[in-house]
Amino acid sequence: MTDLQAALGEHNVLWAPEDLAGYEYDATIERHRPDAVVFPSTTDQVSAAVILANAHGVPIVPRGSGTGLAGGAVPIKGGVVIALTKMNRIIEINPRDRVAVLQPGVINLALQDACAAHGLLYAPDPSSQRICTIGGNIATNSGGPHTLAHGSTVNHVLGLEVVLPDGRITWLGGRQPDAPGIDLRGIFVGSEGTLGIVTQVCVRLMRNPEAVHTMLAIFETVDAASEAVSGIIRGGVIPVALEMLDNEIIKAVEPRLHVGYPLDAGAVLLIEVEGLRESVEADAERVVIACREMGAREVRTAESEAERARLWEGRKGGIGAIGALSPNFYILDGVVPRTQLPAVMSEVLRLSAEAGFRCANIFHAGDGNLHPNIMFDELVPGATQRVLDLGGAIMRLCVDAGGSITGEHGVGLEKRSYMEWIFSEHDLDAQHRVRAAWGTGDLFNPCKILPNSHGCGQAHEAEIRHHLATPGVYV
Amino acid sequence: MTTTSTAIDAVRTVLPPDRARAPETYAIDGVTPAAAFRPETRDEVARLLASCDAATLAVTPLGARTATALGRPLTAYDVAIDTTALARIIEYEPADLTITVEAGMTLATLQQTLGANSQFLPADLPPSDAATVGGLLATARPGAWRNHLPNQRDLILGLTVASPEGTLVHSGGKVVKNVSGYDLHRMHTGALGALGIIVEATFKLAPRPPAIRSWAIQCNTLTQAADLAFRLWNQSLPLRALSLLTSEASRVASLTPAPHVLLECGGYEAVLVRCEEIVRRETVLARAIGGEAIGNQPWDALRLAAGDLTKTVLRLGIPSSRVAETIEAAAAAGCTAWGHLAAGSVLAHGLHIEEPAIESLRALAQSHGGFLQIESAPAPLRRTIDPFGAAERDLVASLKHQFDPRGTLNRGRWQEHA
Ligand SMILES: Cc1cc2nc3c(=O)[nH]c(=O)nc-3n(C[C@H](O)[C@H](O)[C@H](O)COP(=O)(O)OP(=O)(O)OC[C@H]3O[C@@H](n4cnc5c(N)ncnc54)[C@H](O)[C@@H]3O)c2cc1C
Ligand SMILES: Cc1cc2nc3c(=O)[nH]c(=O)nc-3n(C[C@H](O)[C@H](O)[C@H](O)COP(=O)(O)OP(=O)(O)OC[C@H]3O[C@@H](n4cnc5c(N)ncnc54)[C@H](O)[C@@H]3O)c2cc1C
Repeated sequence: MTDLQAALGEHNVLWAPEDLAGYEYDATIERHRPDAVVFPSTTDQVSAAVILANAHGVPIVPRGSGTGLAGGAVPIKGGVVIALTKMNRIIEINPRDRVAVLQPGVINLALQDACAAHGLLYAPDPSSQRICTIGGNIATNSGGPHTLAHGSTVNHVLGLEVVLPDGRITWLGGRQPDAPGIDLRGIFVGSEGTLGIVTQVCVRLMRNPEAVHTMLAIFETVDAASEAVSGIIRGGVIPVALEMLDNEIIKAVEPRLHVGYPLDAGAVLLIEVEGLRESVEADAERVVIACREMGAREVRTAESEAERARLWEGRKGGIGAIGALSPNFYILDGVVPRTQLPAVMSEVLRLSAEAGFRCANIFHAGDGNLHPNIMFDELVPGATQRVLDLGGAIMRLCVDAGGSITGEHGVGLEKRSYMEWIFSEHDLDAQHRVRAAWGTGDLFNPCKILPNSHGCGQAHEAEIRHHLATPGVYV
Repeated sequence: MTTTSTAIDAVRTVLPPDRARAPETYAIDGVTPAAAFRPETRDEVARLLASCDAATLAVTPLGARTATALGRPLTAYDVAIDTTALARIIEYEPADLTITVEAGMTLATLQQTLGANSQFLPADLPPSDAATVGGLLATARPGAWRNHLPNQRDLILGLTVASPEGTLVHSGGKVVKNVSGYDLHRMHTGALGALGIIVEATFKLAPRPPAIRSWAIQCNTLTQAADLAFRLWNQSLPLRALSLLTSEASRVASLTPAPHVLLECGGYEAVLVRCEEIVRRETVLARAIGGEAIGNQPWDALRLAAGDLTKTVLRLGIPSSRVAETIEAAAAAGCTAWGHLAAGSVLAHGLHIEEPAIESLRALAQSHGGFLQIESAPAPLRRTIDPFGAAERDLVASLKHQFDPRGTLNRGRWQEHA
């Protein structure tokens, strides 16, 4: 502890139990208390902290804002949490080259705001963008509503300065795309803080389009809305965003935010197309036709910027709103091929009803990326276990439909045991080798992503703590 | 030599005899392998590779062999594994906009299949139609479309790779968004087959734009061309490519030998009409000449030039604002040079580019945070100058050690293997 204080300054190291409580969980069910939390402000300090922790044989866990939904930042074996929130400077925004250089603790929305001043945008826009950090986004390869057209975080990261698990500092990638050599940058993004700590980032920026058209398509049922999603994609239009909100969400959002979602709709689709005016008009026309064909009751178009912002407010505030409906809820993240959406969604609703839980759906439908939110009360005996079982059954459903166990939240602690559903022993062995090559060992963010990591135990349920972060955390 | 031939005899027994090919046709940098095979299934690839690995024979996987001068010269080359018989579609669901194919399929065949459903793989076009999916991924080279359309790296959803141990290793999946586990498929993309042989790949597809059109604008100087190109880039044009050409590059592209801006847009007809208006307006404002729509020919010519194996070809990564001056520096060094503004990439080629010229262009790129990669050059040159000049070597070496501990695959391509 004194070594850490010497390296980082006394006030940048927390170790009193009451100070540590806030760092034992992220936005998931899992929690464990760290031995210390440090707040470095330079890359050298990060490196020094890593070297010190290694020298003392203490686990290390990188952390951004702690909004992660897979337990990635939870110090499951204790140790030192390295919180990057003080490294929150935007170093450069270069509108001519369309790149930005920043520290990892910059909040996603702060980067967006800084870009907007130049008519530029940073495309990855997770719904948690008001609080999550760019470092966390990189570690989880975050997506957002606009991933459909622009891709996930990895498609926008050009280069990274990282502190490796042994404390060495290096750059992966650079200021230009497609740097020579094996794509180390591409492996690092999405590695959930198990291959090193991001200390500086260079990202690609895009220009705001000339025109944006935001539509709200209203359907009687989730099924019809799901069919419309497939229909739009099949028809050859890839909107920039194609989001679904079901009736449970609408009922939660509308009374609070008054954004204009009809309370009696089975589901709505929030659809955005952008580009040159002519292109937007033609795309919008095709979208409307596809929605009508699938029985849309109405397709509204935002007539003003204010109206557009309002429609989005409902989407962005959706998860927060369900917090008011239920003492606890469990956010799932699964992906299915888009043509499977109607079948899988109706099965999700059936399974939830059968298990006796309300399930609210607000998700990136265009990507086939589901987020069922299961509402429950942890004080009801056995409820948490039944929710976890239901979560497992829904994941199984996604896998059986040819999909995956996570589209954007990551594997972390939560989904390790599901990895065997989609990967063979050989596949997982190859993933272990990536870690070995990186020198991850047993101390660097231990027990994340891979099942059967050394000294981490097997059972999924045994690690699940019956604690849920309070719903307020999710806004 | 006898040990090699004994080893090869052992390897021969793992596949049916008709998979053997005449080794002469597989020569790389003038070196003929001791044996060549054309396996027909992914299991055959895995079995063959494992038996070579067990016998410590050096293996090079090959597709259409259009990019064999990329990377350091091989330090050993015993067995060629020709992947072109693996050319099947495994799964294609047009409505999902995804496809899984075998790695030996040519990009041309793939695009043809997709075209029947008005879809395409928006990967940069290789110079040759024969280029295979595996080769495309293993080289991961960007072209004119980079940063307008996605790169191969961004289109790959999942991969199956044969490992030197003979296992088939799968990563990713077939859905368009997926963060389950480490992205091994990104690691293999651009790895030049040094970490495994790609046998199957799943891609994200795009709908084909209803129409495509190109324009060429003639300028007096490259600086004028760069200013114009920046103005065009700052409109909301549905660009697919936006390039700057020196006089010499323009000549290669069959345009008037003067600096040019060359651009391509894709979209609905009404959109292209509007694009043309914008192009014409900007041409007039810039006091440049032309702005009429042109055919595909200049692009094809540049593509061929980029893949001309008789020349030394360099690719520089450079900030967009430095593209013009980098093109000029390359031209001053005697190269034919052109660049892609949004991607920040400059291509330069010449019959013989002297080493000091390459070194000083690399230094220029690096001084702006960029890089220089030698795309193609005579073997001796690739021995004296590192074709990649990548900064981080230790991690590459330890990945190689983990995935190919005996150095069986493409020995020496990345660095001298101990
Ligand atoms: C309401 C809500 C909505 C959400 N919506 C989305 C969404 O739309 N899309 C989406 O993708 N996610 C979403 N998330 C999940 C979460 O916000 C993202 O995963 C986000 O990227 C996490 O960022 P963070 O700064 O909070 O990271 P943390 O939670 O602190 O950490 C997440 C992971 O990143 C690692 N990490 C953090 N910083 C670094 C660093 N500098 N270097 C290395 N590793 C690091 C941690 O070890 C951990 O494994 C949502 C979460 C909530 C609560
Ligand atoms: C100078 C130059 C510029 C180019 N520019 C572009 C461009 O802008 N855009 C573009 O898309 N393409 C470009 N290409 C083409 C592209 O890089 C390759 O030429 C082509 O895709 C390779 O395909 P191939 O089947 O001929 O591979 P080959 O030439 O047969 O092999 C190329 C390399 O890949 C390895 N390899 C081949 N197949 C596999 C496999 N299945 N698994 C693992 N490794 C494998 C080989 O060992 C070798 O190292 C360029 C090529 C050249 C020569």
